[in-house]
Amino acid sequence: MLFTQLNFWLFFAIVSALYVLLPHKAQNRMLLVASYIFYGAWDWRFLSLILLSTFIDYAVGLRMATATRQDKRKQLLWISLAVNLGMLGIFKYLGFFLDSFQELLTWAGYTADPFTLSIVLPVGISFYTFQTLSYTIDIYRRELKPCHDFLDFALFVAFFPQLVAGPIERAKNLLPNISAPRILSWDALGRGAVLCLLGLIKKVVIADAIAPSVDAIYASPDPTRWDVILATWLFAIQIYCDFSGYTDIARGVAKMLGFRLMRNFAQPYFAVDPQEFWRRWHISLSTWLRDYLYISLGGNRGGPWKTYRNLMATMALGGLWHGAAWNFVLWGLYQGGLLSIHRALAGTHKRSGEGAQRSAMAWVRRILMIAVFFQAVCYGWLLFRATSFAQIVDFTGRLFTGPPGLTIPTIPAAAYLGMVVLLVWDVLIERTGNVRFYQTWPMVIRAGIYAGMIYLLAFGATTATSAFIYFQF
Amino acid sequence: MKRTAAMLGLILLCLALLDTGVAVVLHWAEAQGRMGSLVRYFDYGRSVPGKLARWEADPDAPGSLYNVAWRPDALAVSAAGFADEATDTGPVIRSYGMSFVNDIIAAARDQDPDLLWDNLAGPGAPPNFTYALFQEDRANRRRGDIAVLGILSSSVPAMAALSSRSWVFEQPAPYTYPIFQPEEDGLKRIEPLVTSVAQEHALASDPAQARAWADQLAERDAFYSPITFGAVWLDASPLARLVRRSLGTAHVSQTKADILAGSGYPYVEVLDRMIVDFARTARADGQIPIVVLVQTRNPVNVDVLTVARPGLERANVAYLATAEHFDPTDISGFVSDGHYTSEVNARFGTVFLALVEAAQTQR
Repeated sequence: MLFTQLNFWLFFAIVSALYVLLPHKAQNRMLLVASYIFYGAWDWRFLSLILLSTFIDYAVGLRMATATRQDKRKQLLWISLAVNLGMLGIFKYLGFFLDSFQELLTWAGYTADPFTLSIVLPVGISFYTFQTLSYTIDIYRRELKPCHDFLDFALFVAFFPQLVAGPIERAKNLLPNISAPRILSWDALGRGAVLCLLGLIKKVVIADAIAPSVDAIYASPDPTRWDVILATWLFAIQIYCDFSGYTDIARGVAKMLGFRLMRNFAQPYFAVDPQEFWRRWHISLSTWLRDYLYISLGGNRGGPWKTYRNLMATMALGGLWHGAAWNFVLWGLYQGGLLSIHRALAGTHKRSGEGAQRSAMAWVRRILMIAVFFQAVCYGWLLFRATSFAQIVDFTGRLFTGPPGLTIPTIPAAAYLGMVVLLVWDVLIERTGNVRFYQTWPMVIRAGIYAGMIYLLAFGATTATSAFIYFQF
Repeated sequence: MKRTAAMLGLILLCLALLDTGVAVVLHWAEAQGRMGSLVRYFDYGRSVPGKLARWEADPDAPGSLYNVAWRPDALAVSAAGFADEATDTGPVIRSYGMSFVNDIIAAARDQDPDLLWDNLAGPGAPPNFTYALFQEDRANRRRGDIAVLGILSSSVPAMAALSSRSWVFEQPAPYTYPIFQPEEDGLKRIEPLVTSVAQEHALASDPAQARAWADQLAERDAFYSPITFGAVWLDASPLARLVRRSLGTAHVSQTKADILAGSGYPYVEVLDRMIVDFARTARADGQIPIVVLVQTRNPVNVDVLTVARPGLERANVAYLATAEHFDPTDISGFVSDGHYTSEVNARFGTVFLALVEAAQTQR
């Protein structure tokens, strides 16, 4: 059941109709059942994993809160870590590590009996395991009180708008929103609808329209230099629109039900350095990695070399979180490298980032820096999108010495129009610093803009059946 | 509440104004004869009956496929050409295919201008069309001729269709063909109620027949859907056309994917029997059978060589599979409309010539 398919909106209409009729606690129970139906529509067998994670972390949370001895608390935390990371390890990484081990043996000259594992990756497993882990770690750190209502906790784990691709919510944000009665308002309904519309435009009009051109070049055995450059630029737009589009719809749907999900993207391609980029891109993951991994490793407390080591380790694991493949690890190491270099240089160069004075020259300089840093981000996306290490080497070479010409398939006019609309939208948020900048505009203008957006969505919608890229993570 | 209702009303009003404005501009552009790509973009979403009605009114309109590939017309042309042919010219290549196959044989003829070739083809024709034509054109082949059956990977799911109008939603060529079903050791033909362009014309004045035809499509054609055939009155709205286009193409893609996933129509078995029967019939008539398997780069596709291989091996028939000579994922081998480039076709043409030569030597 995809957000871009009619069956999801039919499902949501039924859920909403029931929702407005029910009192608070019954709303939560109904949402839990709806969330399990939503997930079960992908593959009902994997509901057992969500249930296992829910039972274990609920019990661990309660026991940890009453345990007085530190070693007992630590034991309980290890149980939560072992179950959640164990699940993730088996279902997401076991096959990958066994394959890599086998290749290593072959490389070292040993003959290993070929074996293959056919493990299906449960949708969204990386998202909900991180979400539940944040709950037990926060209780361990005494930053959170445990949830006593099991069904409320189960809803925190399985809440359908953000279950399969985030944002990775923190218990301290989402649980109070579940436990307390929510206020439904026409204003929230409207803002939620606008978020959904914007998300659908990003996904359907832009990302899905660009995807065939990108796929064609990354499947081509002999692309030209400009094919590789354009396909990688387009992939940067595709992955942003695909993922932030999903998040917008998730936040919009939640908002219409009275929930507030965290913002996951803040115009990431307007960043001028890697640190700023990671404050704007996949914010729920980057803050999770910072709070639970980087800081746990020691953060920047042990001097510069330990800081760089911690950065590299955090980003490499962050890369691996995206998928069981070495190119994701390489992408993580690349991002860690960029962050380390930036950190090393930041001491000698004055930051020109968000806080800089916005004179005309400063704007020009900032735009130039955005353009230059975007190329660095795009090279990261080449590592991310490549299908093998050999392709990374091949495409990197083609960036400099590839044959001339352009064979990349053209993209539909609606996608260009969508990109222009998105650019204007993001520039307005950036300039005003307000994601709801449009709310101050006269009603007639807003109605005209919404109508135009609906028309654009219809204009660009052709076959919106592609799955969201981040579902595989 | 009041503000929300007012906002909703204003959005609807703006949508209506926008839609009317777009409709006026498109109408003006069409009246001026400016059928640009934008006008066509909006036209792709008209209902199938809506598109056919416009083409029927003006069969020469740009992009019209109304009169194309009707089997009785094609067979009449073939018979007339056959009657005029000299009988001592040596083997003639008789191909039953589509533009892809024609491109390959044309490229072969460029390399060997003495090649004699006659073809029957339909746009994006599915195997049930090419195989049906091969059967029906039997009287227009001689002993020693080379019969070529074209199979296009992207059209394989359309073996569950009675007409290209149901599965090529954006450009629904109305020509028809039978659906074949396995029956005992052979295949059963299910003929469409409409087989000629004259019968298609007559539907307008014969509501009972039109209803019977619609009923047959609904019952037999896996692609028929109210999404693409219903609510013709919505064609007046460009916005509705856009929405229909989106839903229609999604419906066709999903139906193709369902068929390829094995739900509903036994295309593997039917294709296998078609190939075996094609080879047997051609040999029985003293002709050389060759199968041309064209792998396209469409997103919903089948590996046509894998599907056809058992039949090809059982019938021991010569074949050209384009995927064996050019990687269909290499986009540098395609022009923008999805056909192969002339360079790639030349490569296929060389292989085809070698195949013809080898087949004749073996006789």
